[in-house]
Amino acid sequence: MPEYEAVIGLETHIQLNTTTKIFCGCKADSWFDPPNTNICPVCTGLPGVLPVLNRAVVEKAVLLAAAMHAEIRPVSYFDRKNYFYPDLPKGYQISQFDQSIGKGGYLDLPIPAASAADKQAYTRRVSITKLHMEEDAGKTKNAGGRRFVDFNRCGVPLIEMVTGPDLRSADEAAQYLIRLRQLLRWLGVSEADMEKGHLRCDANVSIRLKGETGLNPKTEIKNVNSIDAVREAIEKEIARQIHETEAGRKIEAWTLEWDEDAGVLRKMRSKETEADYRYFREPDLLAVRLDDAWKQAILRDLPELPLERRARFVAQYGLPEYDADILTAERSLSDYYEAAVKAYGGDPKKVSNWLMNDVLRMLNDAGLKAEDLKLTPAHLAELLKLVDSGKINITTGKALLGKVQESGKSPAAIVEAEGLGLVSDDSAIRAVVEEVLAESPAEVASYKGGKLTLMGWFVGQVMRKMRGKADPNLARQILEELLQ
Amino acid sequence: MSLTLEEVEHIASLARLELTAEEKERYRQQLSAILDYARRLQEVDTTGIPPTSSVLPARSRLREDRVEPSLTPAELLRNAPHAEKDQFRVPPVIE
Ligand SMILES: [Zn+2]
Repeated sequence: MPEYEAVIGLETHIQLNTTTKIFCGCKADSWFDPPNTNICPVCTGLPGVLPVLNRAVVEKAVLLAAAMHAEIRPVSYFDRKNYFYPDLPKGYQISQFDQSIGKGGYLDLPIPAASAADKQAYTRRVSITKLHMEEDAGKTKNAGGRRFVDFNRCGVPLIEMVTGPDLRSADEAAQYLIRLRQLLRWLGVSEADMEKGHLRCDANVSIRLKGETGLNPKTEIKNVNSIDAVREAIEKEIARQIHETEAGRKIEAWTLEWDEDAGVLRKMRSKETEADYRYFREPDLLAVRLDDAWKQAILRDLPELPLERRARFVAQYGLPEYDADILTAERSLSDYYEAAVKAYGGDPKKVSNWLMNDVLRMLNDAGLKAEDLKLTPAHLAELLKLVDSGKINITTGKALLGKVQESGKSPAAIVEAEGLGLVSDDSAIRAVVEEVLAESPAEVASYKGGKLTLMGWFVGQVMRKMRGKADPNLARQILEELLQ
Repeated sequence: MSLTLEEVEHIASLARLELTAEEKERYRQQLSAILDYARRLQEVDTTGIPPTSSVLPARSRLREDRVEPSLTPAELLRNAPHAEKDQFRVPPVIE
C-alpha cells in the first residue's frame, strides 16, 4: 500500500471571557442561568436598536492576534453575514469578512517525541488564515418533538480563528488545540473550556500520497467538543479516506458529524447549494480604529508566551524539558515557580521537584490555581531552607506544606510553635541512645560480634523514641561512639 | 446588463420570498434597471483610489465592559407567536 499523509486544517471558535456581550450590556456568560435571562433589544434583534462595540472585545482580540504573530489592522470593519436560522433573531450575524482585526499569523507547535511517528520531537509551524471578531448565535434544542430557542448566547463575543491545511496527523491537531487552550488561558482572553463550548472546533480533513503537494477533496467534521474526541474523529476519518481511496472510490466533500456516544462519524444532510451569505459592510457600526496609543496600551499587557517561557526555563534554570513543560502549563504556576526560585536562591531543580511532586498535588486536590495558595513562594523557599539547614527533615517539610496552606503562617513559625524542629542537642540524643542500648543487649552483642548492618535498626529505635525529631546524623555518630 | 430568471429566483430564495411568475419577471426588469444605473458608477476611473467603506471619518463608539439591565424573559416573549418554558417555540428545522 502506498504511504499516505493527512492534511488537516482546524476552524476554531473562541468565546472571549468578557463580562458583557459584544454589542450590548447583557451578561456574556449564561452557563448557570435559565434560558432568555441575559437578553435585551439589541441582542434579540428588535427593530430600531443599534449595536455598540465592547472595548474589551477589541482588546482581547488584539492580544490574541499579537500572540499568534498576526498583523493587526489599524482599521478594521464589521460585516453582515446573512442567513436565516431560528437561533439568529436578526437574520444576520455581525462578523468580519475582508478587513478583519488580524491578518495572517502562525503558531509554532512543539510536537513531543511521544506524538511523532519516528519518536523524534519536532516543531510544526501552523499558519493562521483567518482571525476575526464576531457575535455568537443563540441555541436551539429539541425536546419532545418540539424545538425551543434560547437567546442567551446571542451576541456573546467570539474570535473565529482558522488554520491553513498545515497539520499532518490527528495527534498534531490535538497538540494544536492543547497549545491553543494553554495560550488562551495564559493571555486571559478565554476560559477555553471545550465542554462548555468556550472553544469549539471543526476539522477539515483530506489525504494525499506522501510527497505530493496538492490538495484533495476534504471532508468537514463538526460537533467535536473535547480534544480526545477531535483526535479520535480525525483518526477515524483518515482511516476511512485511505480505505475508500484504496478501494478506488472518490472522496466526496461531505460534512460529517461526530457522534460522541457511539464514537462514529455520521454524514450530515449535504447542502444542495453552496452557502451564499451576501456579506456587506455592517451599516450600523463604524470602522474600528486602533490608533498607536491604544494598541501600545493593549500590548503592554502581552505577557511572555508559554512556549517562550518554557524554553527560557530550560536555558536559564537548567530544567529538563519535562519539568519546564509542566511548570509552564499554566501562567500563575510558572510565575509562582520563578518567585520561589528567586526567594530560595538555591538549586532551581529542587524547587521544581517540590512543586511538581507536592504543591501540584495540593493544587489539583483542592482545585486551586497557584496564585490562590496561602502557601506563598516565599513560604516554600523558607521551608526548603529549613530542610537544607537540617532544622527539619524532609518528612516534616512535606507535612509543613499543608500546615502552611491551612494556616497561612510561616513555616518557621509553625516549626517553632509545634516543636517540629530536629533535636540536635548532643546530650538529649545521647540520653536516648544510652536508653536504647540498655534495652537491647542482644542486638548490642550481635553488632559487636560483627553484624554492622544493625546500625540502621539502632538509629530507627532512637528516632522512634524521639518521634522522628532527632537529627539522624548526630544519632548515628553517638551510636557509633558508644558501640565501639 | 440583464438578470436571468434563475438569478431572481436565487435571490428570492435567499430572502425566503415566494414569488409568482408575474412577479419574477417584473422584479427581473426592475432589478436589472437598478444594476444598470449603478453600473454607470463603474465608468469612473478609480485607479489608485482605495475602496471607501464609509464616508464618515468617525470611529466606532466603544462601550465599557459593564453589565446593564436586560429584559425579563416575559418581556422578550411577549411578541413571540409561540412560547413555552421561557423559550420561543419554533417549527422543526430541516437543513
Ligand atoms: Zn443584549
